[in-house]
Amino acid sequence: MIAMVLSVFGGRLVQLQGFDPHSYAAMAAKENLVDVVLPAERGDILDRSGRPLADSIDGLMVIADPSLTKHYAPQLATLLSNRLGVDYAATLAKLRKPGSRFQYIARKVPATIATAAVRAADNRKYEGLTTERDPVREYPAHDVAANIVGFMGTDGPLAGLERSFNHALAGKDGKATYEVDQAAHDTRIPLGKSSRVDPVDGQNLRLTIDSDLQWYTQHVLMKAVQDSRADSGMAVVMDSKTGEVLSLADFPTYDASDPALSPKSDRGIPSLSDVYEPGSVEKVLTLSALLDAGKVTPRTRLVVPSQYKSGDSYIHDWFGHGTIHLTLTGVIAQSSNIGTVLASNKFKPGQLRRYLVKFGLGQRTDVGITGESSGILPSKVQWNPADEDRIDFGQSISVNALQEAAAINTIANGGVRVDPSLILGHATMNDGTEVGTDVATRRRVVSAKAARQMTHMMERVVDPNVGLAPYAQVPGYVVAGKTGTAQRVNPACHCYDGTFTVSFAGFAPADNPRFTVYVVVHNPRNGGGGGSIGGPVFAKIMGFALRRYGVPPTHTPASQLPTTW
Amino acid sequence: MSSTAAQGGPAQQVRARIAPWLDGSALGRARLTVVPHRRTSAARLPFVLLVSVILVGGVVGLLCFNTSMQQAAFSENNLQDEATNLAAREQTLQLQLQGMQNPQAIAARAQRLGMVIPGSPALLHVPTGKVEGHAQPATRDFTPPLYPRMKKPKPLVERARTAPTTPTTPTRPTTPGTAHRAAPANTHAHVHR
Repeated sequence: MIAMVLSVFGGRLVQLQGFDPHSYAAMAAKENLVDVVLPAERGDILDRSGRPLADSIDGLMVIADPSLTKHYAPQLATLLSNRLGVDYAATLAKLRKPGSRFQYIARKVPATIATAAVRAADNRKYEGLTTERDPVREYPAHDVAANIVGFMGTDGPLAGLERSFNHALAGKDGKATYEVDQAAHDTRIPLGKSSRVDPVDGQNLRLTIDSDLQWYTQHVLMKAVQDSRADSGMAVVMDSKTGEVLSLADFPTYDASDPALSPKSDRGIPSLSDVYEPGSVEKVLTLSALLDAGKVTPRTRLVVPSQYKSGDSYIHDWFGHGTIHLTLTGVIAQSSNIGTVLASNKFKPGQLRRYLVKFGLGQRTDVGITGESSGILPSKVQWNPADEDRIDFGQSISVNALQEAAAINTIANGGVRVDPSLILGHATMNDGTEVGTDVATRRRVVSAKAARQMTHMMERVVDPNVGLAPYAQVPGYVVAGKTGTAQRVNPACHCYDGTFTVSFAGFAPADNPRFTVYVVVHNPRNGGGGGSIGGPVFAKIMGFALRRYGVPPTHTPASQLPTTW
Repeated sequence: MSSTAAQGGPAQQVRARIAPWLDGSALGRARLTVVPHRRTSAARLPFVLLVSVILVGGVVGLLCFNTSMQQAAFSENNLQDEATNLAAREQTLQLQLQGMQNPQAIAARAQRLGMVIPGSPALLHVPTGKVEGHAQPATRDFTPPLYPRMKKPKPLVERARTAPTTPTTPTRPTTPGTAHRAAPANTHAHVHR
């Protein structure tokens, strides 16, 4: 009898140990083994002084099991609506949902608030609530630099740097596996089986943006756009020497912490993605190229007729005049289209295009935003003399705002173009491109002498007697600038529809520039031009920047180059 | 081998030299008796006690060790929870701080206090007391509004009544020639891509 029993045991033992030991061991381990994802923290996006523009915090989702919560649903719903700010009626319905064992009560709740709510429920013996990890992305600066930073959707990044640097920001989740004692509230079993792969946190992105200056730029621009009843506006502030972009503002814009409040069309970065014809601001590039080529001087005398035939049509100036005698300085100060075209006729074929390419037109700035437009510079084949006449004064070509600002900054930086940068140091975009101040390149476009001559000519633009933009003056400082008012292309008819883009670009202090500021306002409806709308915006932003960075006045008198002869 | 050694020459000589008393006469002279076997029984109790103590000590020690490990695991769990909570709390406070550092929040508080942003930059050189730049009293002109102006939505009734009859047209400047600077008035329409 005993032998029979023992042989049964023996047979079972052989079966367990001999034939199939692993599956039983695995089943036993599975009972107690837990896998935990160790979340990698998404990198922060910081401004130049380290203040966060985007920040990740621990978040939790609160989940209910209605089969347990239905017994005390009203009390629990009251508690949850008080603690988590969720809707009482909707929560009550979820807590009572028949046949369900899984209902989201709230998503992306800061961890402290979620755990406090669940603990309060536990204390009152309401069972059936659990939490799961659900990281929260916060944008503490709201709309400040939202156009640049972008935002995260529920499933991933949707715009701006969040999208173009997603790989670098995201990091890599880690993993831990260990045995727990389920009877003892999942306490880890000491000396139990365990393995761990540490998470790799995402990289922080440090921007060149100064969030205080960015705020001021955005709000001054907002006021200008609204006062002139315009469609939209853009403003750029660059450090003249380093090319660091201190502000890049768009209006209208959106609140990155609640993008859904704004229409989809406002959630982008038009200053990089949209192109427009720059108008007369571009004369700075044309004429400094002419100066560099040695074809003209600031005192070159021009006889400017009332109109000028180019191709099948006539070019006019913004102000009606008979035949007038302007110097090249006068052409800039009075923004004469005809004068610019007359001077530019001295270019050899293809020469202007080569200069404009060196100024960076027709090429993306590659500051780190996917979806940047490269602007439109006609190809060598498309280039023709009638178009060149119009390109001389900034029509028939298109730019994005940062491209144009970087081109003007070439003059401020003594004729050397420096790549604009949004990233302090360097960082790698999703496509592997390395961008940032560390990899910004410089190239000479025009001679230092030509840049100096152009600066002196631009100082006359803000002169109240001979220039167009006296409102662009910053008291105590010498400012060099240029107005622009360009006809706008209507994409519907591919024609000029009679609306305008007004702008002002300039830098200060003119003899040792620290900042280059470029302001663009699209379709103002108050009849203003680049000087009257862009000028005051420029002066405010420039004044704020000079004061904020403690730039002393240089005490050099502004140039008194003659504008007429 | 020992027998051959006893009879053999050199081995015997060696033995005689080393132990002279081993030869027969010496043995005869000595009255040797067998030493009685002394039964020295070592006390069992201490040994049993020692072994028991080691055994029990080991078991108890292991038990204590395991218990303390378990205890440590519990307190590790608790401390882990506490650390998570404190980290979350820190993050929440950090968030509040960041909210207060937001330029918009600072501007709003400053404006409530009646502060404005100065217009013209001026620098005070402290050692000499010299002022550089134009020091002017600050006015409201350089302080932008905190919020965009919202278009006031028309009442629904009015909108329904006016919408079909009066399409809103932007006001055009009366004298475009003087208002728009540097706008080329070329008459033909460019087609742009």
